[in-house]
Amino acid sequence: MPPIARAFVKAAFAYLLVAFLLGALMMLDRWLNISRWLKVVYASQIHLLMVGWITQLTIGVAYWMFPRFLKEQDPRPRGSDRLAWGIFACLNVGLLLRFTVEPVSFLAPSPWLNALLALSATVQAAAAIGFGLLIWGRVRAMEP
Amino acid sequence: MPITTRTFIRASIVYLCLGALLGLTLYLQRWLAWDPRIILFKSSHVQFTLVGWLTQFIMGVGWWLFPPLPSGPRPGSAHPIRKGQQQRGSEPLFWATFGLLNAGILLGAIGDPLFNWTRAPIYRTLAGLASLFLLAAAVCFVANVWGRIRELGRPR
Repeated sequence: MPPIARAFVKAAFAYLLVAFLLGALMMLDRWLNISRWLKVVYASQIHLLMVGWITQLTIGVAYWMFPRFLKEQDPRPRGSDRLAWGIFACLNVGLLLRFTVEPVSFLAPSPWLNALLALSATVQAAAAIGFGLLIWGRVRAMEP
Repeated sequence: MPITTRTFIRASIVYLCLGALLGLTLYLQRWLAWDPRIILFKSSHVQFTLVGWLTQFIMGVGWWLFPPLPSGPRPGSAHPIRKGQQQRGSEPLFWATFGLLNAGILLGAIGDPLFNWTRAPIYRTLAGLASLFLLAAAVCFVANVWGRIRELGRPR
């Protein structure tokens, strides 16, 4: 498994743990009233699971296991490493920015926080499009 | 990677990009307050990412990588029961799954927000139809792949 795929998969595991921990805390909060923050983190927790865990794991495994480029197509078997690391960075920076800002924006709404959330979504959309560009050519028949 | 899987995966990548761009539009709406009706498309964002991207991707990869159906010789004949792509199951049924799934996603992504916007019964029918298409796609996929969830090699 190449280092980039390992980074995607390990990050995905980290999000899984954090999201489940948050889920447990959110349940406990209903009972113990731990913090106001736990009442507004719901949407971010769903995104930790959907983007941080499942989508990131899918991207990492696809990057690792999909048919490699033929030498005539691209001398780099899995495509551009720089693009792959860029996708990793964009996905995680966008996700963490959202996770940090969104609960605060529910507690104290402000246009600046909404602008930061739009920025986080822009960065994540860039990661999605980057992944499409990186993997598209590798969605191909295996050589006989 | 068979053509069926390639089609599923390419469609799922398109939905990932569409879903992410729609998510971006929802946040831009929250920031810039263009039109409150944009928020009605939140269900389409969920549909694109959860069904169009993840579910469709998983179905495509499952069809590609799950163990093949048994292909031993037909009783009393030297010819195998199945050969080539037939070892993956019914290809026409898998194409039907693709058609139903994508019709369901697109109709749902359009019908649900438009119904919430206009309250016109036609869009409610469209959204209802979409959910039936998705159900039919799920049934077709499971029926087609069920027999492939099996141990490979000789039983001990």
